[in-house]
Amino acid sequence: MNHVLNITASNTPAVVERLLQVTRYRGYQLTGLQMTPRADSRSVAIKLSVSGDKPIHLLTSQLHKLYDVQQLELVSAELAVLSA
Amino acid sequence: MKGAELVLKVLQQHGVDTIFGYPGGAIMPIYDALYQSSVKHYLCRHEQGGAFSAIGYARASGKVGVCMATSGPGATNLITSLADAMLDSVPVVAITGQVSQAVMGSDAFQEIDVLGLSLAVTKHSFMVRSVEELAATLNEAFAIAQSGRPGPVLVDIPKDVQLADIDYQPEASTSVKPAPVATSLANAAKARALIAAAKKPIAYIGGGVHMAGAMGQLQQFLAANPMPSVTTLKAMGSVAKDNAHYLGMLGMHGTQAANLAVQQCDLLICLGARFDDRVTGNLQKFAPLAKVIHVDIDPAEINKVRFADAALLGDMQQILPAISAGTDCADWLSHCAQLKQQYGWRYDHPGERIYAPLMLKQLSERMPDNSIVCCDVGQHQMWVAQHMRFSHPRNHLSSGGLGTMGFGLPAAIGAKLARPQDTVIAVSGDGSFMMNVQELATIKRFRLPVKIVIVDNQRLGMVKQWQQLFFNERYSETNLSDNPDFVALAAAFAIPGHCITRKDEVESALEAMFTWPGPYLLHVCIDDKDNVWPLVPPGAANEEMITETKA
Repeated sequence: MNHVLNITASNTPAVVERLLQVTRYRGYQLTGLQMTPRADSRSVAIKLSVSGDKPIHLLTSQLHKLYDVQQLELVSAELAVLSA
Repeated sequence: MKGAELVLKVLQQHGVDTIFGYPGGAIMPIYDALYQSSVKHYLCRHEQGGAFSAIGYARASGKVGVCMATSGPGATNLITSLADAMLDSVPVVAITGQVSQAVMGSDAFQEIDVLGLSLAVTKHSFMVRSVEELAATLNEAFAIAQSGRPGPVLVDIPKDVQLADIDYQPEASTSVKPAPVATSLANAAKARALIAAAKKPIAYIGGGVHMAGAMGQLQQFLAANPMPSVTTLKAMGSVAKDNAHYLGMLGMHGTQAANLAVQQCDLLICLGARFDDRVTGNLQKFAPLAKVIHVDIDPAEINKVRFADAALLGDMQQILPAISAGTDCADWLSHCAQLKQQYGWRYDHPGERIYAPLMLKQLSERMPDNSIVCCDVGQHQMWVAQHMRFSHPRNHLSSGGLGTMGFGLPAAIGAKLARPQDTVIAVSGDGSFMMNVQELATIKRFRLPVKIVIVDNQRLGMVKQWQQLFFNERYSETNLSDNPDFVALAAAFAIPGHCITRKDEVESALEAMFTWPGPYLLHVCIDDKDNVWPLVPPGAANEEMITETKA
């Protein structure tokens, strides 16, 4: 099942690595990644596309715990299929 | 002042008076500042030991443990201990020196990407880029380590930041306060209804209860809602000793009464625990008849491995009174009491040789009130959990989630420094003890009166037990019969000791150990054939325990 996560995070040096590390460790495959620093460069908008057999809440609940993650929005699975 | 001095100032503002560490090139400015500081530094003999001491200090006291190391190998040596703190939710701040920013990224001497290494083993980590952000970063590190579900935080500080000048004026309230815990009682009514309707409820208690400071609320909850209770390894000591319905530890080496009762219960009230695989055995067959109430501070634990019929997130102190509903389960209580009696421990081991469970029971009965026992990992660790009783989980420090051999001795050092008035006993195995044996030098240097009990079967006993049961008795690399002479080894560090081999020597040996005012090593030789029972074999349900007679 494909999922798209729209994430707003602090623009720290390791923020993308943190997201990818959690995604890999929790057993999801990365299928897409877009990253755009916000105008003030203090935060970044990240679109993370992932696929995995497990329920997606097992990933989002872990990503939410990352200290740099400010907002996390799960785009519906149907939209995720379209954009994947 | 220099950045290095600022580090110590900020630590003092957080009430830190004890640090564990080891110096090296990239952290020399901080060690130079330490030279004239009132913060007491305890030199470990390996950074892993220093960080375990910080964990022992934190777990015994409830405060944040602090450790330091230099760049490169110093920092990599911390990794195992940080992972241990991560899996057991221990608040630790680790400070590492880093090479100067001018040479970072050039494979400089003793340079390693510590921030990268830290990702999997810390709750959060920082690389400080300028001296201006140093104080705020350290404040954040302390706040994160203690807030919500606690954990380790690493702060990597390049040498040029340590050497940079800054005009530092501590703010009136410098510290970032740990974020308040948001508590939702939305499901409290549902939980109360489940408790009121349950015919066979049971409380499954984890480390989250005492870490939330909710020991009092737990006793009140169990008194107002009489029900059997079981604990995880990390929660041993959570249930008051006079609670007649307590059944012991559950899981792979849990008591038969605890495991059978959990398998039979119709409501499992999980308090600050996480359905670890060593607890559940075969997850699909775990507590198959039970509805679940799950109370935790970490949203990611809810529905992670077991669906919760009612989940409550937040502060255990508030939640426990809110879900109290009163129980009416006299038949269930008497059934569980009967299980407890039927499957009670037996200590009538034949022969003259020392039986570790009995020896540990004797140790438990003889040790002063409020003693702290620090374990290593393996058979002795499970025997301690089975046969010793504790009055508080902060009196039983055991590496639970990571199961790290080498934890016990350095953790005991930290525990002794956190609570100098209490007796501290490191119970180790002959395998585990050798993993951080260098910390005997720390005990010697600071004359720490830590009591060390080595349970020696000349084997890597737990691995040997599995080889015996599940690998056709092919004893690959588990024979340690060429162990050093542990008493002579202790003597080399000016620690007196004694070796015993017979049951009838135990009482007098324990008395001698406790009577001696300083550190002491008691070498207890046991039969290599003794195993840990009961045992839930891999893939089995928790009621399918193997016992000694069945094996």
